[in-house]
Amino acid sequence: MSLTTGPAAPQAAVGKSPDGGREAGRTRRDRRSLGKHNLTGWLFSTPFLVLFGVFMLFPIVATLLMSFTDFGARDVTRPLEAEFVGLDNYTQLFQDDKFLKALFNTGYFVVVGVPATIVLGLLAAILLNNGIDRARTLFRVGFYAPVVTTIVAVAVVWRFVLDPSDGLIASLASEVGLSAPDFLGSETWAMPSLIAMAVWRNLGTVMVLCIAGLQAIPSEVREAARLDGAGAWQELRGITVPLLRPTLLYATVITTIGYLNVFEEPFVMTQGGPSDSTLTVSLDMYREGFNFFHMGYASAMAYVLFVVIMGITVLQLRLLKDNTR
Amino acid sequence: MNRAVRTGSIAFTLASALTLTACGGSDGAGVAADAEQTLTVWAMGTEGEKLGDVVQEYEKSHSNITVKVTPIGWDVAHQKLVAAAAAGKLPDVVQMGGSYLGEFADMGVLEPVNTGTFKEDDFFPAAWQQGSYDGKTYGVPWYVDTRVLFYRTDLAEKVGIEAAPDTMAGLRSTAEAYQKKAGTKWGLSIQPGGLDTVQSFYQFLYSAGGAVIDDDGKAVVNSAAAVKALENYGSYFEKGLSEKSVRPGYDVTKDFNTGAVPMFFGGPWITNLLDENSPDLKGKWAVAPVPADEASVSMAGGSSLAVSADSDHKAAAKELVSYLTGAKGQADWFERTNDLPANTAAWKTGDLATDPTLQVWRKQMDTARATPSQPRLTEITSKVDTAIESVTQGKSSAKEALDKAQSEIEGLVQ
Repeated sequence: MSLTTGPAAPQAAVGKSPDGGREAGRTRRDRRSLGKHNLTGWLFSTPFLVLFGVFMLFPIVATLLMSFTDFGARDVTRPLEAEFVGLDNYTQLFQDDKFLKALFNTGYFVVVGVPATIVLGLLAAILLNNGIDRARTLFRVGFYAPVVTTIVAVAVVWRFVLDPSDGLIASLASEVGLSAPDFLGSETWAMPSLIAMAVWRNLGTVMVLCIAGLQAIPSEVREAARLDGAGAWQELRGITVPLLRPTLLYATVITTIGYLNVFEEPFVMTQGGPSDSTLTVSLDMYREGFNFFHMGYASAMAYVLFVVIMGITVLQLRLLKDNTR
Repeated sequence: MNRAVRTGSIAFTLASALTLTACGGSDGAGVAADAEQTLTVWAMGTEGEKLGDVVQEYEKSHSNITVKVTPIGWDVAHQKLVAAAAAGKLPDVVQMGGSYLGEFADMGVLEPVNTGTFKEDDFFPAAWQQGSYDGKTYGVPWYVDTRVLFYRTDLAEKVGIEAAPDTMAGLRSTAEAYQKKAGTKWGLSIQPGGLDTVQSFYQFLYSAGGAVIDDDGKAVVNSAAAVKALENYGSYFEKGLSEKSVRPGYDVTKDFNTGAVPMFFGGPWITNLLDENSPDLKGKWAVAPVPADEASVSMAGGSSLAVSADSDHKAAAKELVSYLTGAKGQADWFERTNDLPANTAAWKTGDLATDPTLQVWRKQMDTARATPSQPRLTEITSKVDTAIESVTQGKSSAKEALDKAQSEIEGLVQ
């Protein structure tokens, strides 16, 4: 039996060729077999559709509805009794200093973190693609290892690095007679520390994407450039980056989305502190939703974040897309 | 679909999907206590792990009953309980942390305790209070904890400090003496900010005669006594006697061992930690009651045992609870876990009656104060956390910070 769901009826119809009243019979049978094929298609799609409906569509719609209510802990046992509050959650959000701070912090994370991740990821890729011939695999693994390491293990290492009294940086600094700042305990330094950690964790992803992109650039182009006397910088600007443009666009978009959602770093390292200086939107949402059970409010937050992410992604695609091709 | 929206909605899905199946539950008397049955019990953390051994003993004398204990990590406990409550699928017996009880009692998923069987007078007052909500009792006290002062006796001797400080003023001068004369890095370890900082602050707050919420359920966190307590608390950071930096996952026993921190307030489990992780330190430290301000009052924590309102096995569940919270069960529990018994009768035998260290806990428990059960307690105390942090980081005065907390908390109490 054919698996296609479209009007690919002929094969089946041919098999059971009618013996009389051709035109009418055929049409009828075609229609029937079309229906049958559709049914098959639906049957095969059902597991996906059910899962999609239960775990994606329903939550998305439910969250939207919930964001218009004051859904709280006691409503869990009787969800239909949650009070409808219209747009109150949304208007309240934009008067909530904590949320605005979280929004600002998230923006900070993206504005500093994304360029750093992309640039360092690209440099690592170029380095490993051209520069280092020996132990290339080792370096690739080294850069990529943080991506696949669980955040809890990463946190242990970074806490050791950043610890103000006996951490790696503090010890090194005191060797040369300097004093390291209290990275995670200071409002000024906590965010940059988390960004550094995120960049370290994520540049591997960008690197892998870029290496793939670099290897797709024909070597003739490079050779031609070199013959024309281009230096490394000119080659980078004139050849590598332009030809990697689609890759870099993709990397930028996914990194931005990832950083707008940033949750794990502040959750395991600082719990949003000190004084909310590392509170991100996702962390604030988690707290409101799961610590305080302000589900309605947290849902509204989720939708605001969703709209922000959507907006920024569309903007990026518009601005960065190569319109010349 | 992005991850954020998805994360936010998963909980709701679970909640509502489970609610559809929540129509069960029994209103009848359920299964009799002596019938063949399986009891389900949820307990958190270490308690959850050790409870398994105890129920094996229990099963020997109650051959008709099989007890199934599920240990739950404290970090996921709250979410799991809420989801289960929503589904009407709470276990027959469930451990209730002091801060949870109000919330679940308010949801109507806990069976009220029969105060004829379980008597208030058998337990520490603060422990009993933690099982009560809105004038009714929902949880039977199981174990208690409170905070007392741990201090390094060897370092104290070195600089001529003879006894543990017994007043708040004495606490500060002792901290200064440790730092100046014994060369310790800090004087006293108290939490500067972050989650549950309030637990560090309770010793100061209650001893000064303040509270977050008074016994009538009114927010009183900006009272003169509370302001005084927070000023005192903040002064340790101002003077460099306590570490200002917030260190997530900070383990005070390490610094206590090295001598960087000579004093801190800790719970009963710290004794085990020190014995296990720093055996060399044995004999070089001691515990003392919370230094008095108006009085010496510490916070009361611990857990109660509650029976689910939906349970079909209430009769047997109550018998199990009554075994676990009775004098004999409690003494046995102490042997196994070092959790302090909530039942005062258990303190009349063995180490509990004679050990001088344990007597410090016992005495502290008599006056310890529990935070009244409130459905939104987590949120309420988080406002106090914020107030404390703004003071320890020198961003606002105690009065300003507490006034702000007061106005926020007023809208949350009920």
